[in-house]
Amino acid sequence: MNRRTTLLIAAEALAWWCALAALWLVLISTVDTLELVVGASAAGVAALAATAARRVVSAR
Amino acid sequence: MNGWILAATVALGAGVGTALWGVATGPLRRRVVAQNMSTALVCPALLLLSQGYTRPSYVDLALVLALLGPVGTLVFARLLADELADDPPRAWGVTWAVAGFGAVVVGVVSAATGPSRAMVKLLVIGALLIGGNVVASRALSGGFRGVGRG
Amino acid sequence: MADAVIVVVLLLVGATATTAVAVRDPARQALVLSVLGVVLAVLFTVLQAPDVGLSQLAVGSALTPLLLLLTVRKVRRRARGKGRQE
Repeated sequence: MNRRTTLLIAAEALAWWCALAALWLVLISTVDTLELVVGASAAGVAALAATAARRVVSAR
Repeated sequence: MNGWILAATVALGAGVGTALWGVATGPLRRRVVAQNMSTALVCPALLLLSQGYTRPSYVDLALVLALLGPVGTLVFARLLADELADDPPRAWGVTWAVAGFGAVVVGVVSAATGPSRAMVKLLVIGALLIGGNVVASRALSGGFRGVGRG
Repeated sequence: MADAVIVVVLLLVGATATTAVAVRDPARQALVLSVLGVVLAVLFTVLQAPDVGLSQLAVGSALTPLLLLLTVRKVRRRARGKGRQE
């Protein structure tokens, strides 16, 4: 894995994180600090999973 | 009883009544289409009810239905694929009519909500509803034949 | 007058449940049953119990038909396999 693919993976995970965090922000009822922290970490985990899953599917 | 609940009552009575008649009689291809239409009609009705009761949290029911309704239809499309392959359903007129009804309801409820986070949530639900139902209709009419069948 | 929606949804639930009993073929019965799950969720909503409605939606709209259809498919396969052996 060279530097370019690593950079691409990071960019894709970041794009996923932005989309998922925005979705969380839309779906919660009240915006406060705790919600933001939980949402950011949940979006991070989901973004990593989504990146890995998409790479597996497209590599088939 | 306000106008929102009245509209929901009419949509439920007429729409789901028709879908029930469709799902109870006729060939299999009409029944699966009617089942798909019933979820696509109930989701806007739930949005109208949420607006009528002025309880924004009731919107979550519509969100879950917009996600799970097409999943249920895909279950039928996958497991009844052999029976549907001989006689595939073609109901794009009904699909687009119901999708248009959903779009109108989402638009009206969004306009009543006003620009806010709640409106974006409603638009997300509308996109899920229409996209999901178009995908489910396509799967029913054999649009994804390439996908493995067993 | 305010209860009109409850009456309409109750009638729908009654009609759907009767249909689910009256239809004989299990695959078609699963279709009616999934409609029944959705209509029951609406009934719970108009009776102001959206939490019950949420779980009813989750179970009734996708899970019950899936289990039914998988069972029907397995039973049919077993029957077909037995027919071949005899």
